[in-house]
Amino acid sequence: MARVKVKSFSVIRDVLGSEVVEIDVNQPETVGGLFQELLRRYGQPFKEKIWDPETGQIAPFLMKLNETIIRSTSDMDYKIHNGDKVAIIFPIGGG
Amino acid sequence: MAKSFPYGGYVGQLLRVNLSNKGITKEDLREDWARDFVGGVGLTARILYEEIPPKIDPLGPENKLVMMTGPVNGTMIPAASRSSFCAKSPYTKSFFHSIFGGFLGPELKFAGYDGLIIEGQSEKPVYIWINDDKVEVRDAGHLWGKDPFTTQDILRREIGDEEIHIATIGLAGEEKAPYAMILCDIRASGRGGMGAVMGSKNLKAIAIRGTGNVTVPNMLRVYNTSVRINEIFATNPGVQGLSGYGTPRNVAAMNEGGILPTRNWQTETFKGMKNITGEAMREQVVKGDRACFACSINCTKYSVVPRGPYKSVINGADYETIYAFGSICEVDNIEVLCKADELCDYYGIDLISTGLCIGWAMECYEKGIFTKKDTDGIDLRFGNADGMLEMIEKIGKREGLGELLAKGTRDASKIVGKGTEQFAIHNKGLEWPGHTCRPFPAAAVGYATGPRGGSHHDIRPTAEKSGLVDRKILEEKGGVAAEINHWLILGDSMLICHLGEPVWGPLKISDSMINALNAVTGWELDYEGARKLAEREWNMIRCFSAREGFTREDDRLPTRFMEEPVPEGPMQGSHIPKETLERLKDDYFTYRGWDLKTGNPTKQKLSELGLDFAIDDIC
Repeated sequence: MARVKVKSFSVIRDVLGSEVVEIDVNQPETVGGLFQELLRRYGQPFKEKIWDPETGQIAPFLMKLNETIIRSTSDMDYKIHNGDKVAIIFPIGGG
Repeated sequence: MAKSFPYGGYVGQLLRVNLSNKGITKEDLREDWARDFVGGVGLTARILYEEIPPKIDPLGPENKLVMMTGPVNGTMIPAASRSSFCAKSPYTKSFFHSIFGGFLGPELKFAGYDGLIIEGQSEKPVYIWINDDKVEVRDAGHLWGKDPFTTQDILRREIGDEEIHIATIGLAGEEKAPYAMILCDIRASGRGGMGAVMGSKNLKAIAIRGTGNVTVPNMLRVYNTSVRINEIFATNPGVQGLSGYGTPRNVAAMNEGGILPTRNWQTETFKGMKNITGEAMREQVVKGDRACFACSINCTKYSVVPRGPYKSVINGADYETIYAFGSICEVDNIEVLCKADELCDYYGIDLISTGLCIGWAMECYEKGIFTKKDTDGIDLRFGNADGMLEMIEKIGKREGLGELLAKGTRDASKIVGKGTEQFAIHNKGLEWPGHTCRPFPAAAVGYATGPRGGSHHDIRPTAEKSGLVDRKILEEKGGVAAEINHWLILGDSMLICHLGEPVWGPLKISDSMINALNAVTGWELDYEGARKLAEREWNMIRCFSAREGFTREDDRLPTRFMEEPVPEGPMQGSHIPKETLERLKDDYFTYRGWDLKTGNPTKQKLSELGLDFAIDDIC
């Protein structure tokens, strides 16, 4: 099991209840496994912020895994380890 | 009344006002131009290419200021409230489109016009009053010198109608300040000095009241299309957060990703970020949400600072305000940023250019190039909130250092010299918005080749910023940028809002965009048909720039982005060296079928797009 800290902002933070939450991830100990655990724990409100119902796929966004920028569209198999930090960086257009 | 127009969504009539002789004419909208250039920006580019000669003085009587709508404006299609002011820009010296939301565009259509062409120059201050088919040029002597909101109040009382919609300039526009903006009710046609063009014509305001409607060929089809797009907006993760936090939703996330431009772009991480996020704004100053005409996104925040030195009432702040005055100037107080926003509206100046000019001056000061003698005694260090506000006032009044900064970073740095051009953050004279391209090559080539230069509406960095496109690969980024150009320009011709980006784009023209256009007009465009329209429009604008003398050499990035890697954070080391930019430009021009040496569209490309009339001008 890997215990990781998840950092999020704005509408995703509102769903998780805090800017930083600790999540225990069992098999698979990957970024994808982390999101499955977040989905199990926070349910539909979390799903609505992350998954695009039109495609059924996870929306495109960046993450910071410790100090490395990774992508939701290609890097969900990245291994995570106990003590890792994952920040969800979800961009929108600027006005 | 206009004659019956063959395509839905159009009125079929343009209004032309000549301020030199007060001539007012109503003319038919050319059907072929509507079909080939849609409306909004594309159509205006075609009109201005035809009507204004090259190399004219943008502030002279030969320039024309055009307010144009698109076919979807005034219908129930969501995020389609926008309208454009276009002219030859006194700031960038080429065709410029500055788009705004709110209610003014739909109101012009309800009054019976697809667009308003303003030409000539009045001897005395005037305003235009459009009351359906009654149009007058009225004296505005009593409005001259008034700020935009006071002007709007006076006009609503004077005309006796609280429901009219008004575009007006402030003091900066009257003074023809290069980056003066036009305030359109509460929204801004902010960039590129459209307010200066309006001021040069001695035109203080345009007031509009329309009681007509927009006709579409199949109401049920438009209704169903609107419902469907609203459903997608409501559930798309990239759109729905705008209702809660507006565009400031970006601030904290971008800082975490190391892409929040800071300290005049010396770095891209701001340590004071916590106090100026969307979350902080919501907790401290936001009192409500506002939406534009028929829009379900609801992105505008109504904010109040009720008392104290930064007492202010604004519609905002948007992300760009927070960027330009917050992270760029290292001011970490949301109340100050609200005051800065209010001051820019009061004087009628573009807040992005204003913030970037002050950021540049702060860097000059900290490097010892400016002293207190130059800054009128202001200790103009980064982070000096009150100093920053004082400088906004000075720019608005063109007093002291404000006179220099009102020229923009390009001209100001040329005057000052001493290497300050190195950190003047602009392209084609237009200061940069708050979206980096140092880690994002498609965005970089899009910015560099964009007709306006420093505009995040000629390219969107979202494709790479979201990871939808791999930012680490250089190959084929020219094509990525070109297809993003296409959905943007077609959107700017329909006049839909780019905040619906995940639905309208984000990588190419989407089915939702085509469905909206087809439903309203009755056209049956497929993807290739829509793409060809967009490509024609983009090439039309490039022809305008080429005829003005712009070449490949003008497609640049700020020196800092090419020579100074991001010094810290997760994007540390990112930059776009000049040789990389040139390679990206080759890729982009090749994809577009443009001449690699000049960067101009080729004869073959212009013929293919039906733009043969431009061949002799630029080939």
